[in-house]
Amino acid sequence: MRSDIPGNDKIKVRLFAILRELVGESEITITLPKGITVNHLNNEILKKYPQLKSFSNKFVTSVNCKVTAGNTIITSKDEIALLPPVSGG
Amino acid sequence: MISITNNPLNLQEIMFELEDNSAGALSIFIGNVRNQGRSGNVSEIYYEAYSEMAEEKMREIEIEAQTNWGIKKLVAFHRIGNIKVGETSIIIGVSSEHRDEAFEACKYVINNVKTRVPIWKKEISKESQKWADGVLLE
Repeated sequence: MRSDIPGNDKIKVRLFAILRELVGESEITITLPKGITVNHLNNEILKKYPQLKSFSNKFVTSVNCKVTAGNTIITSKDEIALLPPVSGG
Repeated sequence: MISITNNPLNLQEIMFELEDNSAGALSIFIGNVRNQGRSGNVSEIYYEAYSEMAEEKMREIEIEAQTNWGIKKLVAFHRIGNIKVGETSIIIGVSSEHRDEAFEACKYVINNVKTRVPIWKKEISKESQKWADGVLLE
């Protein structure tokens, strides 16, 4: 899917901890039609990076630093991140 | 004052930040890396943070502590990167008029940092490296 086609959005997604290691990148770019939701994005990521499939229920998605519901619509201007279970302290 | 830093933590700096002549109590929690983890022996821990969001969440917890206990000042420093056994990964300092608020707010802050802030740790030993189990953010 080409990002220069009108109607497509290039979404940058930051990855952390085990998800970053499994993909081998701290940031990936996914191209999707405009007006997509967090759920669409996550499904596309799991298709493109099947090594994350066993973690599909072990991460949440943040949009602009807030954990966000799957039906939230996102754009290329949003800062998106996939966050595995936290363990700071 | 909230900070996620790659640098070793300095207790003197935190004490300085907490200075307040109207505070009769200071409560300080220091978290060190220990030589045992869930996966066995540990020689060091690698900490990683989503720093922008982590500092935002820590400020949110700070406001809750101020609202609930009327504390004077809060300092929360979390170190990230590779931290060896015996070194400090986190210091939480709270000043308040009296000791009960300082103790309770300090406990509240460290408990909430562990479950609400996007920071991850990987336990490292000679034999293995393993990301710690944790809590999914809500």
